[in-house]
Amino acid sequence: MSLDLSHTKFDEMLRRSAMDFMRGDAPKRVVEELLETDIGMSEGMWKKMADLGWLGILIPDQYGGALNSMTAAGVVLEAMGTGPLPGPYFSSSILGTRIVLEAADESQKEEILPGIVDGRRVLTLAMIEADYTWEPETLSTRALLTEAGFVMDGIKLFVQDAAAATHFIVAAVTEDPATLSEFVSLFIVPAASRGISVKRLPGFLSGRTFEVTFKGVEVPGSALLGNRENGRRALEAAIMKSIPLLCAYKVGGCQSILNMALEYSRGRVQFAKPIGRFQRVQDMIIEIANHADAARWATYEALWKQDVKGFDPESIHLAKVLASEGYWQACTLGHQVFSGLSYSMEHELSFHTRSSRSLYDYFGDPGFHRRKLGKILLN
Amino acid sequence: MDFSLDYTEKQESFAVEVRKWLDENLPDDLIPIRDVCKMSGDQWLKRREFTKKLGRKGWLYPGYPREYGGGGLTPEYTYVLVEELSAREMALPPLYDMGILASPAILAFGTEEQKQRMLPPMFKGDVITWQLFTEPEAGTDAANQQTNALRSSREKDYFIISGHKVFVGSFPSRPEQMYVLTRSDLDAPRHQNLSSFVIPGDLPGIKVLPLDLFTLSTFPAVSGVTGANVEGVKHSVFFDDVKVHESCLIGKEGQGWMVTNATLEVEHGGGRGGVVRKNYMAEKFLEICKTDPVISRRLKNNPELTDSVVEIYIGSQVERLLNMRNADGKGAAYGGPQLALYSKMFGTRFVSHMARVLGPYAYTQDEKYALAEGIFEVGQRCGICLAPGGTPEAYKIGISRALGIGR
Ligand SMILES: Cc1cc2nc3c(=O)[nH]c(=O)nc-3n(C[C@H](O)[C@H](O)[C@H](O)COP(=O)(O)OP(=O)(O)OC[C@H]3O[C@@H](n4cnc5c(N)ncnc54)[C@H](O)[C@@H]3O)c2cc1C
Repeated sequence: MSLDLSHTKFDEMLRRSAMDFMRGDAPKRVVEELLETDIGMSEGMWKKMADLGWLGILIPDQYGGALNSMTAAGVVLEAMGTGPLPGPYFSSSILGTRIVLEAADESQKEEILPGIVDGRRVLTLAMIEADYTWEPETLSTRALLTEAGFVMDGIKLFVQDAAAATHFIVAAVTEDPATLSEFVSLFIVPAASRGISVKRLPGFLSGRTFEVTFKGVEVPGSALLGNRENGRRALEAAIMKSIPLLCAYKVGGCQSILNMALEYSRGRVQFAKPIGRFQRVQDMIIEIANHADAARWATYEALWKQDVKGFDPESIHLAKVLASEGYWQACTLGHQVFSGLSYSMEHELSFHTRSSRSLYDYFGDPGFHRRKLGKILLN
Repeated sequence: MDFSLDYTEKQESFAVEVRKWLDENLPDDLIPIRDVCKMSGDQWLKRREFTKKLGRKGWLYPGYPREYGGGGLTPEYTYVLVEELSAREMALPPLYDMGILASPAILAFGTEEQKQRMLPPMFKGDVITWQLFTEPEAGTDAANQQTNALRSSREKDYFIISGHKVFVGSFPSRPEQMYVLTRSDLDAPRHQNLSSFVIPGDLPGIKVLPLDLFTLSTFPAVSGVTGANVEGVKHSVFFDDVKVHESCLIGKEGQGWMVTNATLEVEHGGGRGGVVRKNYMAEKFLEICKTDPVISRRLKNNPELTDSVVEIYIGSQVERLLNMRNADGKGAAYGGPQLALYSKMFGTRFVSHMARVLGPYAYTQDEKYALAEGIFEVGQRCGICLAPGGTPEAYKIGISRALGIGR
C-alpha cells in the first residue's frame, strides 16, 4: 500500500507562506474592509500575490507562469478561504486561466496569459443569465458575425468580480451562416468596451455579483477564443476542473469556523461552565467538524485525481456536494454556537456566512451535482 | 372536532366593525415592512400614530382588562382583530413594543398603584417599552446579572443602577421606557439576588449605542405578517449611576427571578392563546414557484427540487397545526416552547431549501431581480438568527422541565 495522505515538503512550505500572508497581509480588519468594496482586493495585495507567483499558479512556464500541481494550488486556496479573502483570484487565476487554456489558440494564450501572471489582466466569466442554470444550452446572449468581427447583445447576471475584471470571458451564442447551426462560443472582451455596463447586485449575502449588460458591443474576430464550435466543451471542462479549487477555498472556511467555535466554546462561560461542556453545544461543534472533514478529504482526493489521473468527474461532483453543503451548514451551526455575538457584521463568522451563501450555487448547487453523480453511478 | 377557522356569527359582526374602523383609521401610505434592518423615520412615525389609535380604541392590548386601558376582549374576538389586521398586512403590535412582556409582569407582581400608573400609557400606545435582560455575561444564563441596582446610601427610597446591557431595543435609538433585570444584592444566593424594574428611558446616566447587526429578528418573526417585533436596530445600553425611585421596582426586592420567569414563559412561546399565525413567506414561496417563469422552469428542469418545495410545505403545515393546537389551549405545559423551537428550527431548514430552489435569487435585493419584493433575502438572514427571545437550547431546557425529564 502506497497510501500517504501528507502534503509534500514543497506544499507544506507553500501552506506556511500562504498562512503567513493571511496573517500578515489579510488579517480580519483587512478582510472586513475588502468585503465592503466592489473589487474585494487592494492593488498592493494583488501585486504581492503576483510577486509570490500565485497569479500564475496554473499557467505553464512558456507563458511566464509558475505552473503547479492542483494540490499545491489547493493549498493556496484553502489558506485564502480561512479569511475568507475576497477578490478576483479564483475568477482570474483559476477559472479564467483554465478557460483560456482549454479554449484559446496558441497565439491567444501568448497574448493573454502573461498579463494574468503579472496581474495586469483580470479575467472573469460572464455566462449565467436571468434564466438561471449552469447548463449552457439556454443562453440568450448572442454574438452576431459582422465583417469586422462580432456584435454582442445580452444581459449576464450573477457575474462574479465584474468590477475587478479588466476582461470578461463571455459565453454567447453564434450561428454558422452556412449551416444555420448554433454554438455556444467564448469571447474575450475588454471590460472597458463601448456598450458594456456593470451594476452590483445589492444584498448582504449576494457576494460580489453583478449584472453585466452588453449592448451592441463590437469586438474583432480575434476576440473569439479558439473556434466557434469548441466553446461549450471548453467551458464545461474548465468549470469542472476548477471546481476542486473552489472546494479547497470552502474547506479553509470550514476549518476556520471549526477553530473559532472551539476556541469560543472553551472561553465563553454560562451557568458557571464553559459552554463547550454542554452536550448540546458539543453536538453543534462535532457536526461542524464532520462537515469540515468530509469536505476536506473529498476535496483533497479530487485534487489528487486531477494531478495523477486527469479529469475525474465523479470525484469532482462528490467534492462539490460536500464542500458547498458543508460550508453552508458549518456557518449555520457556528451561529448557534456563538449566538448573539455572531450576528454582528463585524464578526468573522458573518464573513463566512456571506461567502458560504454567495458561493453555494456557484457552478451548480449540491442538488445539481447530486443529479450528475447519480447519472454516473447508475450508468 | 372542527379545524375550520371560519368566523361564527358573533365574530363576523365584530369583524364588520373592525373592517369599518380599519377603513377609517389605517393610513393608506403605511408600507408593509419587508426588511427588519431597515426602518425609515417617516414610516416609524406613521406606525406610531396608528399604534396610538389602536391603543385609544383598546385594541393594542385587546385581551387585557378594560380598567387599565386594555380591550377586555375574549380570545375569540382578539382572533378576529388579528385576522383582520393581517389581511391588511398589519401585525399586532404594529411595531416593536416589549410592553407585551412587561405588562403581564406588572399585572402579576405590581402594586395596584403601579398598575394604574404604568399600564394605561402602555395599553393606550403612549409608551413603547424596551426589554433589557441580556448582558455580555448574561445571555442564556439570564440570572447571571452583573448590572447592579443597589439601594442608595443617602436616599433610601432610591436605587442606583450601573451596568451594561446588549442586543436590546428598537428604532429609533431613543428609549421611552425600559423593563430591566438587575442584581440588587451582592451577597444573596443565585436567583434570590435579582430585582426587576420598569423605568423611564430618559433618566440621567443612560447611554444608548446602536449595534451593527445583519439580522434583528428570527424567522418566525418575519415569516408571518411583518411588523410585530420589527426592531430596526439593536443597541448596547450603558447605565452609569442611574438614580431610580423604588416605585419602579416590580415585585419585591429580590423577587426579580420570579418576575423574569413569568416573562420568559411568555417570551418562550407561552401565553399565545387565541392567535393563529400564518406563514406568509411559505405561501409566497409556493406562489413564486408556480408563477415565476424562471423559477418554475428551474423546477421543471431539476425534478429533485420538488422535494424542497414539499419540505417547506410540510414544515409550514406542522407549524400551522401546532399553532392551532396552542390557540385552542391543547398545547399542554410544553406546547408553547415546543412551537417556538419548531418555528425557529424550521427557519434554518426553510432557508436551505429555499436556496436550493431559488438559487442566487434567494439573496438579491435588486429592484429588478428580487422576487416577492425581497422578502426571501430577509428570510435568508433571519432564518439563521436563533438568539432573540432565547436560544433553541433554552427552549429545550424549558420543554424538558415541562415534560418532567429536566431540571
Ligand atoms: C437580533 C437579536 C435581538 C435580541 N433582542 C433582545 C432584546 O430585545 N432584549 C434582550 O434582553 N435580549 C435580546 N437579545 C439577546 C438574546 O436574548 C441572547 O442573545 C440569547 O439569550 C443568547 O444569549 P447569548 O447570545 O449570550 O448566547 P450564550 O448564552 O452565550 O449561548 C451560546 C451557546 O451556548 C448555548 N448554551 C448556553 N447555556 C446552555 C445550557 N445550559 N445548555 C445547553 N446549551 C447552552 C446556547 O444555546 C448557545 O448555543 C437579542 C439577540 C439578538 C441576536
